[in-house]
Amino acid sequence: MQGTSMRVLATLLVSGWLVGCGSGGGSDTSAGPADAAAAAAAAAAAAAAGGADLGPATDPPATKAAAARFLSQVSFGPNATAIDGLMSSGYSRWVDQQLAKPAGTPHLDYFAARTAELDEGETPSESWVYESFWRTAITADDQLRHRVAFALSQIFVISLADDTVNDHPRGVAGYLDMLGRNAFGNFRTLLEDVSLHPMMGIYLTHLRNQKGDLAVGRVPDENYAREVMQLFSIGLYELNLDGTVKLDSRNEPIDTYTIEDVVGLARVFTGFSWAGPDSSNARFFGTISITDRDILPMRGYPNFHESGAKTFLGTTVTASTPEASLKAALDRLFAHPNVGPFIGRQLIQKLVTSNPSPAYVARVATVFNDNGQGVRGDLKAVVRAILLDAEARDDAAAGAAAAGKVREPVLRVAAWMRAFDAKSTTGRFLVGVTDDPVGSIGQTPLRAPSVFNFFRPGYVPPNTSIAQAKLVSPEMQNTQETSVAGWLNTMRNVVPNGFGNNPPNDSKRDVQPDYADELAIADNAAALVDRVALLLTADRMPASVRQQITAAVASINVAISNPTNLETARKNRVHLAVFLAVASPEFIVQK
Amino acid sequence: MKRIDASRRHFLRTAAATSLVGPGAGFALNLATMAAAQAQPAPGYRALICVFLNGGNDQGNMVLATDPGSWAEYRKARITAPSPIALPEVGAAGGVLPIVPNTAQAGRAFAVHPSMGGLVNEFNAGRVAVIPNVGTLVEPITKAQWDARNRRTPAQLFSHNDQASTWQAMRPEGARIGWGGRMGDLLASMNTYTNFTAISASGNAVFLSGETVLQYQASSAGAVSIGGLTGSLFGSTAATNPLRSIVTGDRGNLFENEHAKVVKRAIDAQVALTTNMVPTASLPAPPANNSLANQLLTVARIIGARGALGIQRQVFYVTLGGFDTHDNQTANHAVLMQRLSEAIVYFNALMADPDVNAVNETTLFTASEFGRTLTSNGDGTDHGWGAHHFVAGGAVRGKEMYGAFPTIGVNTVDDVGQGRLLPKLSVDQYAGTLAKWFGLSDPQIATIFPNIVNFASRDLGFMNP
Repeated sequence: MQGTSMRVLATLLVSGWLVGCGSGGGSDTSAGPADAAAAAAAAAAAAAAGGADLGPATDPPATKAAAARFLSQVSFGPNATAIDGLMSSGYSRWVDQQLAKPAGTPHLDYFAARTAELDEGETPSESWVYESFWRTAITADDQLRHRVAFALSQIFVISLADDTVNDHPRGVAGYLDMLGRNAFGNFRTLLEDVSLHPMMGIYLTHLRNQKGDLAVGRVPDENYAREVMQLFSIGLYELNLDGTVKLDSRNEPIDTYTIEDVVGLARVFTGFSWAGPDSSNARFFGTISITDRDILPMRGYPNFHESGAKTFLGTTVTASTPEASLKAALDRLFAHPNVGPFIGRQLIQKLVTSNPSPAYVARVATVFNDNGQGVRGDLKAVVRAILLDAEARDDAAAGAAAAGKVREPVLRVAAWMRAFDAKSTTGRFLVGVTDDPVGSIGQTPLRAPSVFNFFRPGYVPPNTSIAQAKLVSPEMQNTQETSVAGWLNTMRNVVPNGFGNNPPNDSKRDVQPDYADELAIADNAAALVDRVALLLTADRMPASVRQQITAAVASINVAISNPTNLETARKNRVHLAVFLAVASPEFIVQK
Repeated sequence: MKRIDASRRHFLRTAAATSLVGPGAGFALNLATMAAAQAQPAPGYRALICVFLNGGNDQGNMVLATDPGSWAEYRKARITAPSPIALPEVGAAGGVLPIVPNTAQAGRAFAVHPSMGGLVNEFNAGRVAVIPNVGTLVEPITKAQWDARNRRTPAQLFSHNDQASTWQAMRPEGARIGWGGRMGDLLASMNTYTNFTAISASGNAVFLSGETVLQYQASSAGAVSIGGLTGSLFGSTAATNPLRSIVTGDRGNLFENEHAKVVKRAIDAQVALTTNMVPTASLPAPPANNSLANQLLTVARIIGARGALGIQRQVFYVTLGGFDTHDNQTANHAVLMQRLSEAIVYFNALMADPDVNAVNETTLFTASEFGRTLTSNGDGTDHGWGAHHFVAGGAVRGKEMYGAFPTIGVNTVDDVGQGRLLPKLSVDQYAGTLAKWFGLSDPQIATIFPNIVNFASRDLGFMNP
């Protein structure tokens, strides 16, 4: 699809562009005196990138606020450099350049690097998955791929909260790489890679699932067959192209599958187990194994596979080998008209808004069904369609009462880290389990409580104006008295002190924000608050809130001669402004 | 063959275009009128504690029939290789533990999971009863009717989230009002602090959502206070501290506004609750590594505060997870059974503690989205339907089993495939019995559980009045 020359050009552009890059000094030309050299360099790079070969941007953001808003949808959060870059490139070029960046294997690479440096007695741990996640989210320049991979990890859920999955942390790293690789690929490939991944085989119990034996009453495990339909492809009810539920002549929803379909499909997912060079019984049960079985796709073991016909969803799979049966079954699921709206709507919810209009969903599902070149399931085209759709780019509509989505805790913290160019002292982003809603942020990536993720796509908070307006707010499923208190208490501590664990012999936490650009303008309370409001709320802070924060910031005296005390006062100003911003509903809700 | 969907009401899985017609203002008006028209229950305190077992508990290994015929069928279904899930027999090492209900069932004998020794003691002391083969139903249904598909059944049987929602709210996922919350709606006027009527120690659950009653979330940390609301914040003057205003102020955006309301509730309720909850140190320590017991400790601390808070009716929600034992069931389920047993023993001890003193006023009951298959998939079980449950507390007429224990086996009159139980008792009847004890009248109960009229008995008789 992309020629070599285009890829080279894209790489050159990006490397000079610092798009989405978490490191490097800010160069916000609207703020006060920043690092002049960095500003000049960034401006030159932006000019070269936006100018020479590709011409001026066709759809530049109207304002920096619009740019910040876009970056909240396509990355783990805006920073000043990314905003400037986007002003030059415009939306389409930014997206296309991100889509062109090749996938790597950052999480397995991290595991390999850490394994090479193991301390005495240390073994690979689940923490490495979290470390690699945060490091990638904050510093990787292929932001869009990783943001989409994170979204996919909440649809095709596996979780380190499961004891057996937890035995294979490297497998989880490989799973996250697999989602990243498929984020801009084809949905059919994604569905197969998920179905054959050993971590999914463990989580939804089809690894080592055996064909039935009626003599002893054993029947195939139905877990994966049910969830692959309910959660990974077609959902529970037949949908229109626009994502609305079809109703029958009695005005009732129409089930997509019955228990008979589950029983039939369960026969397909038999006879799969760890990868290896043969299909011996010993290897099926795991008595003998190869080292990389945790990261290689499962293979078929004919001795344990239901070789007879498998009937489900009005089709009969007559293939007799595990691999052929699985392919035929996934082909059937992939072909179902539900997939485009079912998956498309959830991706919109994860990136843009909790309540897309049916027309928006229909436009995205149409692209899923045919990307314009006759290809079904082209996720690159779907992602592009979601982000460049007029509804996503409608900055004015973002002010509507029903607009936006509550940010989940991981995305809130990531946005704070990226806004202030957070850096890891060790380079490893030593962040562990952050599940506790009171003492921490109440969410850990890749550690959902169940296959239904941290929150369900259709969650409606009861007795609210949201419910009355017939809207959904999935992320509010985890919003309660304890979690809102926990967020405020946690961030009051994190904003000045950093996030994550302390490196050995270090009194400070490993992930530290860099407030240099904010400190440089801290004497001007209004300018400081403006900058923070842009970075954290895309300038959606109402005047009254802004005034209150500015007054509080201004009440910290900076007419001080003692340099140490002055530095402390300026830090207090910055910490206050940033804390009040991340505490505000304007930050918590992404619009 | 497609089953006839159960409910004639509309429901949505997502909030997309189709309009929702169902309980709305009209229904609330009916409830309010009804509440006003009924005499209030006698003053005094009553609380229901729902222990939701997430994942679908395997009833087949929790309460067992040990008479020779049943046991033979049980073993046949559950000794399947490679990892048999059949438990050892009565008297064997690690064998199931006999329980003898006061009323015998001809030709049957019963036991519970080997890890439930504590629960056996509570059963024998009359503080626990067994309710067998309860499940979500619209109307009674026989095996023949099931095979012919000519009776209404609940939608989305065997789907976790839909059945959990049906257990809690009588309709599949998308339901917004649960029966715990509805009971709270009807009796919240008996409470001074109505915002403590429905309390979860375990996260958001539709069970506790009422028309007007909102669930309040407590944690083992009690009610968490938010720091920095008053005084100097990062060296600013106290007078300019805008934190409270910013996090609670009204907003035009619906999501911002609702988030701010949660924060406001958190602030307002925290002082009242924290001042009055029984200190942890005053109560027995929970068994180790038992998240359910930890939640019940929080529940007990709040129950102990009922006098100070002027509360007469409360509904609580706690959970234990991990019951979806498709894999590795023998080991995993044993741990869960131990935790459940310990937690029930602990709960009874907490209620008897002088600082709580609510033995006859509190009733704990288990619930779970469904039971599981009798047959094994090799090392575990799959989603089922009918399941056995426990009720516990001083007001329970214990040491008894309230209903005919099902036939164990496949291809029986109680089997809908792979030994999944066809329920004989409905959630409506189970919950309706609890609701009656809680103080609701028959018309009120029929409004909350409309399908209860389809069943012969609305009160299963396991509660003292």
